Amino acid sequence: MKLNRRSFIKSAAAGSAIAAAGSIFPGISFAGWQKQEDASGNITWQKAPCRFCGTGCGVLVGMSGDRAVAVKGDPNCSVNKGLCCVKGFHSVQALYGKDRLKKAQVRKNGKMVEVPIAEALDVIADKIKETITKHGKDSVAMYGSGQWTIPDGYVASKLFKGCLGTNNVEANARLCMASAVTGFMTSFGIDEPMGCYEDIEHADVFVTWGNNMAEMHPVLFSRMLASRKRKRDVTIIDFATRTTRSSQASDKSILFKPNTDLAVANAICYEIIRNDWVNWDFVKKHTSFHKGKTNIGYGTEDHFSFKDKPEDISFEEYKTFLQDYTPEKVERISGVSAKDIKYLASLYGDPSKKVTSFWCMGMNQHVRGTWINNLVYNIHLLTGKISTPGNSPFSLTGQPSACGTVREVGTLTHKLPYGVVMKEGARKKAEKIWGLPAGSIDPKPTYHTVEMFRALDRGDIRFMWIQVTNPMITMPNLNRYRDGALKEDRFVVVSDVYPTPTTDVADVILPATMWVEQEGMYGNSERRTQHFDRIVPGPGDTMSDTWQIIEVARRLGFEKQFPWGEDEYIGKIWEEYRQFHDNPKHNMAPYEVLKARSGVQWPFVNGKETRWRFNTKHDPACKKGTDFDFYGKKDGKAWIWARPYEPAAESPDQEYNFWLNTGRVIEHWHTGSMTRRVPVLHNAVPEAYVELNPEDASDLGVVNGEKVKIISRRGSVTMKASINGRGVPPRGMVFVPFFDESYKINEVTLDAFCPISKQPDYKKCAVRLEKA
Amino acid sequence: MKEADKILGKVVTGFAAICLTGALLTLPADAAPDIPQGFDSDGEKIFNRFDETPLAAMTGTDGKRTLDVYYELRQYPGSPPRVPHDVPLSFSGDTMKCLSCHGRGGYDVNQNAYAPVTPHPEYESCAQCHVPRRTEELFVETEWQSIEPPRLGRSEMGGSPPPIPHSLQIREDCIACHTGPAAVAEIRVEHGSRGNCRQCHVPMIATEPRKEFTRNN
Repeated sequence: MKLNRRSFIKSAAAGSAIAAAGSIFPGISFAGWQKQEDASGNITWQKAPCRFCGTGCGVLVGMSGDRAVAVKGDPNCSVNKGLCCVKGFHSVQALYGKDRLKKAQVRKNGKMVEVPIAEALDVIADKIKETITKHGKDSVAMYGSGQWTIPDGYVASKLFKGCLGTNNVEANARLCMASAVTGFMTSFGIDEPMGCYEDIEHADVFVTWGNNMAEMHPVLFSRMLASRKRKRDVTIIDFATRTTRSSQASDKSILFKPNTDLAVANAICYEIIRNDWVNWDFVKKHTSFHKGKTNIGYGTEDHFSFKDKPEDISFEEYKTFLQDYTPEKVERISGVSAKDIKYLASLYGDPSKKVTSFWCMGMNQHVRGTWINNLVYNIHLLTGKISTPGNSPFSLTGQPSACGTVREVGTLTHKLPYGVVMKEGARKKAEKIWGLPAGSIDPKPTYHTVEMFRALDRGDIRFMWIQVTNPMITMPNLNRYRDGALKEDRFVVVSDVYPTPTTDVADVILPATMWVEQEGMYGNSERRTQHFDRIVPGPGDTMSDTWQIIEVARRLGFEKQFPWGEDEYIGKIWEEYRQFHDNPKHNMAPYEVLKARSGVQWPFVNGKETRWRFNTKHDPACKKGTDFDFYGKKDGKAWIWARPYEPAAESPDQEYNFWLNTGRVIEHWHTGSMTRRVPVLHNAVPEAYVELNPEDASDLGVVNGEKVKIISRRGSVTMKASINGRGVPPRGMVFVPFFDESYKINEVTLDAFCPISKQPDYKKCAVRLEKA
Repeated sequence: MKEADKILGKVVTGFAAICLTGALLTLPADAAPDIPQGFDSDGEKIFNRFDETPLAAMTGTDGKRTLDVYYELRQYPGSPPRVPHDVPLSFSGDTMKCLSCHGRGGYDVNQNAYAPVTPHPEYESCAQCHVPRRTEELFVETEWQSIEPPRLGRSEMGGSPPPIPHSLQIREDCIACHTGPAAVAEIRVEHGSRGNCRQCHVPMIATEPRKEFTRNN
């Protein structure tokens, strides 16, 4: 039985952790680290992007012998200019956890057995063949990651979409960036931010929408603080549902009720028009007005489908639509005072101020994620504050290569490296570059991530290969999807670097190289592609995720599509991939340029990076003779959308009377499988907790550190209360960080998603609390 | 008064007695046009700090901070040290609280010690890099190793000024760490009255990325 095996592994791990703690701290150690023997004491430094978040800081990895021994911020990288955060400074320690997976394992008679990696790869190839024969090509799936390197995602797409002909390719970026993508596509017709981090030094006002940057994008937050300190008249507004470190550092903190950011954004537009702060020249030349369907549902049922139907509207119709969003009406919906709404509108509306909006998961993990992205673009479009230095609606990413690998390579069910599978031209281009017969690529998308795990549960998918991600912590409504993965006749392959709850459900575990143990590229939030060399040798039998896929592809008979040698494959893959983007809107830098520099921004045209897209002064893809050209859309215009306020999928009621909000802390990155193995980070935040408002805690009779049971309609978790700690939720809300595998808060969350982007909302569901 | 505030109150009172006068160190805003900020490893910082620090604050040591204590807080030479003292849980984002002690230094009654001075007060989001310890247990044992800390006193000749054995990045301000009562005893200088440190002490090249020298023929 799989379940028994799983619980055994768990208890064994717990035992060894306790033993380890005893042997590490026999007393006060002389120094904070074990000394390397026979080392010269000299360090050589090599550049890489940081392994963790989507900021994409450049780091210098310090090498002594064949070990990484230190980190510095890369002073040549324009992102961070030599500064890191506590995760980046200690990132190399994540390579050296004692329980690194160094050998392949295969389940034999219910037990995981170590085998040579070649044998495990044989098993995977055989199982793919067998499953396709028995259940058809759409019964096998690949689930990847925004932490995949660009070559990882590229070969995965080539094998599954091209060679095997199934569109069952998804990545965890669906859980973090899908609404950002659909926001860009619906407003601009082309993905990724028009601006860049240099906007930070140019802006006079920053509005952060549901975004605790002090913890989640700390280096960019420090850039903002430095700019405020230098220029003095810079204003930072924290617009959020919970009080955080970012609120404390901001000039003003404005709290809104969950999901009502939609109403507030519309109210800001109402005020901009009422006060005639509209930049008419810009609006007339460069925008058009549209509406779509309303009451669009929440996707909590299997086989949910939705297709929007855009319709053109006039400015007058848009203005009439906004009548429902006067500041006074929205005050009643959102809890934000009419005065604060007018203040926000006046900041955006002031023609003398350059305004940058930042957002990340708060707007993306949102049942109306696409809409709220559209609405914030509306504000910037009405005022013409876009695509110029300092005027920037800026969608940040959470993973180092959510942009590079998932959005640019297109490792989502409907995407190809260029275009979508539904378009014949895009399929033909891919088939030509990949050397495949016409008709190899299926024109129909299959499952988005939530539906893919539902299909695994139902039995429509029988084989799933999971790389560089930990869905058995991160899937919402987790109980269903874990039970599904554990059903008989489901075959799960997991490539990872440490044991996780996801390797616990695996039938084959492949030991992967991590980060600088392989060559690769990431792509960060500001369209910057960042190359890194293989700097540290990987331990044991570890193999890069790219090479694992190549090995399996060759076993399936696709040697022709995967011909490269082990010493050259990354460069060859890059140059092949680059052909997909061979146009001035998306041109990527050549391999040699990437190797030489600390990141290069695309579009890279005639040897030059493009800082601000759609602006004719900066972007060579723009039509000449106009100041802006929103070339993503056929009409050359950016779209302003009438999108209404609609409530969350599940709001607190009599029985389940609290909002549950989830997220991260600065010390831990995602599910903690790496950062918990870094001593400093684990020592700082050893376990997850539930943040309560002090008055709610007092009503419940709970003091700091006492246990609280959090119960939803789907599951429950019992954990320690944190009162007046890192963050303070308003009355009626609790917040739980999700990094801790001992407290799986996603057993409590709801698998509702934005019907357009299919990205789940991890920030809103209803729970009740009990003192435990 | 909340418990956290009480602790803080004591710390601040302790400081008031001995705290140095004047505002926090700020970098001058006006560089000559077209001269990039921070050239020469932010060499300007040393002169500013020297100007603003009274001689008295550059002398004396309580001898409590030693290199052992210093490295115990670090994971490799040059890593950001963890916070070794209690920090109230709610002590999250108000950086001026950190800088009220670590900006210019001074004596803290609660710890009966002098506060070390940060070499980079321009970075205000302190908890971005410096985190306290809530447990001493590890999640999983680690196989982490790093190099020995640099040896001291590596003068080329007996008595000649020793080179700088660490990277200057984010640690450009010599005076902050090498002078004053909180300076680590082994690396405290006895000649704080001389303000141009890099006149005699030069970075040791092996600790920086470098190109081999070749002659142009």
